[in-house]
Amino acid sequence: MKSTIKTKTLVLAVIASLVTLTMTGSAANAIGTLKQDALTGTSATVDTAATDAAIRKLVNGRTIKLGFAPPILSEAYTIAQQGAWNQMKDYETRYGVKWVWTEEAPLNNAHSGVETTGFIQNYVAKKYDAVFVCSAAPATVMQQLYKQGSAKGVEFYQFNSTEQLNQKSQATDATAGLSSVSNISYDNRWQSGALAAQYIADELKGKGEIIMILGPAGSDWTKLREQGFRAVVKKYPGLKIVGAADGGYVRDKGLTAAADLLTKYPKINAIYGENEDMALGASAAIDAARLKHWDGKSGIITIGADGLVSGMDEIRKGNLTATVNVGYADMGRTMIRTMFAHKVLGMDVAKFIRVPTVIVDKTNVDIFQSQIKAELATKVKY
Amino acid sequence: MKKFLSDPILGVIILLLLVGGVASFTVDVFFTLQNFTNFLSGSYFVMLLAMGMTVVLISGGIDLSIGAVMALCAGIVAKLALQGMSVPLVIVCALAVGAFVGCLNGLLVTVVGLPDFIATLAMSAFATGILFIWTKGTPIVGYMDETYKQIGGLAPIYRGVTVPMVTAIVIAFALGAMLKKTKFGVHLFSVGSNRLATRQSGINVTKIRILAYVISGVCAALSGIIMAGRNTTVPPDLGGGYEVLAIAAALIGGASLMGGRGRILGAILGEVVLAMTINIINLLGVPSSYQKIFIGGILLLAVLVNQFVISLRTKILMRSTNKKS
Repeated sequence: MKSTIKTKTLVLAVIASLVTLTMTGSAANAIGTLKQDALTGTSATVDTAATDAAIRKLVNGRTIKLGFAPPILSEAYTIAQQGAWNQMKDYETRYGVKWVWTEEAPLNNAHSGVETTGFIQNYVAKKYDAVFVCSAAPATVMQQLYKQGSAKGVEFYQFNSTEQLNQKSQATDATAGLSSVSNISYDNRWQSGALAAQYIADELKGKGEIIMILGPAGSDWTKLREQGFRAVVKKYPGLKIVGAADGGYVRDKGLTAAADLLTKYPKINAIYGENEDMALGASAAIDAARLKHWDGKSGIITIGADGLVSGMDEIRKGNLTATVNVGYADMGRTMIRTMFAHKVLGMDVAKFIRVPTVIVDKTNVDIFQSQIKAELATKVKY
Repeated sequence: MKKFLSDPILGVIILLLLVGGVASFTVDVFFTLQNFTNFLSGSYFVMLLAMGMTVVLISGGIDLSIGAVMALCAGIVAKLALQGMSVPLVIVCALAVGAFVGCLNGLLVTVVGLPDFIATLAMSAFATGILFIWTKGTPIVGYMDETYKQIGGLAPIYRGVTVPMVTAIVIAFALGAMLKKTKFGVHLFSVGSNRLATRQSGINVTKIRILAYVISGVCAALSGIIMAGRNTTVPPDLGGGYEVLAIAAALIGGASLMGGRGRILGAILGEVVLAMTINIINLLGVPSSYQKIFIGGILLLAVLVNQFVISLRTKILMRSTNKKS
């Protein structure tokens, strides 16, 4: 009896300290700071043995069933999944949690989201504990599904989502009108599109001509990134977007679109590819047109967004000037930390968790590529 | 003159002149060598798909698996190249897979008796699934070298001459000659026009139809080999939607979904019309949301022009018959 009270007190003390830490950041980040350094996996300054033991007791070897529903299988979501698996392995080792992980992704048309709605219903029917979703289906449809699933005990977490387009204010409603427990992403406007534009503005010293290779019309990701990009360009009277074309988020279409625009505007200074594949297609178009890649002083800047190992290889070779690394591995780890904090520790977690993003170019590619490679090298699998 | 009017290619020529004419007035850089090189270099692999599709359409079938087969063969090229296999052997393996899948399609349609639409749709899902499982959803990268750059057309083999260009020309001549000058070609049209009558005349319809799918599979494999070089990476969702473009190009080029009609040159020109349309949209800065409307419009226009040509031909033929009588 006494030991039970002691354990409960200890758990409460841990929770209290975590809550205090959330005053300066999200719950997920607080857990990360206390027990898990994002890069090293352990804390160098805090002895966590007692906390680990208390949480292990609370977990009591339970099995948690998790669903993972990305909009499509791709390198980006593979990195996010691996990040999640690595965090799960950490928790399994530290707290004795057992995991069941099921991935369901559409094979075609990532931008319709139709198939994802079916996956969600399957997860609910099979009584999963929590589901991580990224979908292009209409927000109202997804929120309705989350609401129905939540009523049956399934928790929903959105990741890499564009909820900034649809969210209501939290001023009077703590849920912001959303039925998902938390939304782990980055702001596509200001943490992606705007960063790319700022990089171009800085490199070109506020003067030059730009072409944009955009994602498919109607995509929320496209709308938001373009909004952020244009907002920054507008601040520089010397910068001008002279042309834009649809690259469909794929390399070949990016190549064709950039080749067409380079015929009309051979003297442009920069190409913004809304994702890395399209930017790499644009890079091939620069080669085909026998134009010069950016060398720090002259040539054409090509910038994308994602932060993939393949993209970073091209940065090293000079074929891609830079990319916005949106931290897919970090996103995956944060998904698990947030779910664990809420589902297991019973903590209130932030409705909107923003993972950090960063511009990666030749000056810092070593740091971020090695970080992703390390996550992918673990061979942990669920 | 009568022969020209009865040619299914007339419609696409009229369309090409229309689209080109509009572009010459609206886009200043349209009639430049650089621009033509650009949009043609992006269309050779679709031309190959459209040529294979035309053969199947003439036989009265349809092949919805070509996009997925193209992606699967591109994946095979990338994986085997990564393992250090020599380029000729890599190409042979990819072509063999394309031919094998084509043969399977043919057997499903003829021996098992599945409708063409269902059999090839299932094969498409099957091929896509294999590539997704095989790649674990991650693009295959790191196989590119100078040879694959040339195969993809990113580097010329001589001045402006590229491997995809030569491949498309060689295949076009080979298939064109096959359709016009060989027994197989005549039988193919016959099977597409009236399967029962062809069978009753002692022709092996099953063999003809299977061979049509094998040709389509090989064309998809060739397209995949080129695509692996052009795309410099093979994502598992590479082939999505290309079968629709190939069908559109073949139909614009005068092929019929009812079978018995179609031309290789028509398929090539059909793809040129589609590529030209996208090129004009990009050069004009038309928002991408309008792109699909334009392509839909072009397809509709192609069908209307073809119908107009057919009715014109019928009128001329009737007049000449009346005069004779």
